[in-house]
Amino acid sequence: MSYSAIICDKRQDFVIITLNRPEAGNAINQQLAQEIGEVCQQINQDDEVRVVVVTGTGDTFCRGSELAVPCGVVAAVAGLEQPVIAAINGDAIGQGLELALSCDIRIAVNEARMGFPQVTTGLIPMDGGTQRLSRIVGRGKALELLFTGEIISAGEALDIGLVNKVVDRETLISEAEALAEHLAGKAPIALRYVKEAVSKGLDLTLEQGLRLEADLYFLLHTTTDRTEGIRAFQEKRSPDFKGQ
Amino acid sequence: MSVFETIIYEIQDNVGYITLNRPKALNVYNIQMRDELFQVLGAVKDDSEVKVGVLRGAGERAFCAGADLTEFLTAPSPTIARQVRWQRDVWGLFLSINKPMLAALHGYVFGSGIEMALCCDIRVVSDDVQLGVPETGLGIIPAAGGTQTLPRIIGRGYALELLLSGRWVKAEEALRMKLVNRVVSREDLWSEVDQLARKIKVHDANVLSYTKQAVTRGLDLRLEQGLELESRLGASLLEEMMQEEAT
Repeated sequence: MSYSAIICDKRQDFVIITLNRPEAGNAINQQLAQEIGEVCQQINQDDEVRVVVVTGTGDTFCRGSELAVPCGVVAAVAGLEQPVIAAINGDAIGQGLELALSCDIRIAVNEARMGFPQVTTGLIPMDGGTQRLSRIVGRGKALELLFTGEIISAGEALDIGLVNKVVDRETLISEAEALAEHLAGKAPIALRYVKEAVSKGLDLTLEQGLRLEADLYFLLHTTTDRTEGIRAFQEKRSPDFKGQ
Repeated sequence: MSVFETIIYEIQDNVGYITLNRPKALNVYNIQMRDELFQVLGAVKDDSEVKVGVLRGAGERAFCAGADLTEFLTAPSPTIARQVRWQRDVWGLFLSINKPMLAALHGYVFGSGIEMALCCDIRVVSDDVQLGVPETGLGIIPAAGGTQTLPRIIGRGYALELLLSGRWVKAEEALRMKLVNRVVSREDLWSEVDQLARKIKVHDANVLSYTKQAVTRGLDLRLEQGLELESRLGASLLEEMMQEEAT
């Protein structure tokens, strides 16, 4: 499938989705939204894809959206069952930051800036920003960023836990690829279940969350990957997981 | 006091010390330890002499390096294993103890080890500590509450990174993530935790219990309900106080 607003690069075990509208700061438009929706749907049906990386062309990750209302881009990425790494190659502003927040692990370049300027134009984030930001950095910092509309540096984002790691521009993609390969070496179903247990569990009471975790844990008893993982550990070798 | 094989349990000056005691096996968690921990945690919960609990590990190298995988491949069918899990719900029991629980962590703290520490309220670590959740590399996920307790303590972003990647973190990074409350030197670890336990135990047992309940149960409630819980707990403390004054 060929795309115009994104590049989809399928590797052995992972996929890199690159927002590809550098002339527009990789802003979300109808075309990009449609393509992201399609690619995410395909990825969810493809058992070979163990990890997804989302990044942007040029020196902006995504400067926001050209559309007045949410168009499903963030929801599509948030709906991916695999671990998703945001390789934030530059500014992630407004809906661009909402997109990064819908990923699971965020690595940013030094020069990247992040923020929700919506308040200055009389709006609020509409694609999950008010919900996901507070779940990642806590209520205090979230409200500060949302109220002030302040754009913060990658370093500040690291300090408050908004990003997991900050790296040099030259190493961003190799860092993201190395992490993707590292994750691809883990048991694929276990990765999906961890993501589900954390994401769904935060919406439950602790007691209900523990039930969810245990049920997913016992479901994994039926996988051959579990036996392989434990055997490999005992035999002091690397496991060879099949996703079964 | 009964004697256990995998745990030492002692009470000193109203502090209950639970010491994981399989130092040669890096204190890894096995079925025997589960059964003994179940008894000990029940004692900590019910014994009014114990005002604060401390969990720590014997030996130089590890607080607890995880679960004993040699028992994993002989595990019963998923349905039986699930049934057993809830018949003897050691983690539910742990989390239901409405007393301050402190963890003193050193060396390796992996898998079930970090999950036990996350069942505690305050984590103090020595500067040689290494913490990690390696389960996805073993084809499994955490099963002692880690997927639930970790994000509730360090947030979704860091929690997913550690759980998905299995990456180990050292003391300073753990402190920055708020995974641990305090870093001290190895030789000061147990005495620091003792000092903290002494500072906490001077307070009224009900005050400590209600504080823990208000915070932990409150986080599972809508704010409005949490505020109601808090005022209900506060009011019953006032009532107890007035009754004491009247007598």
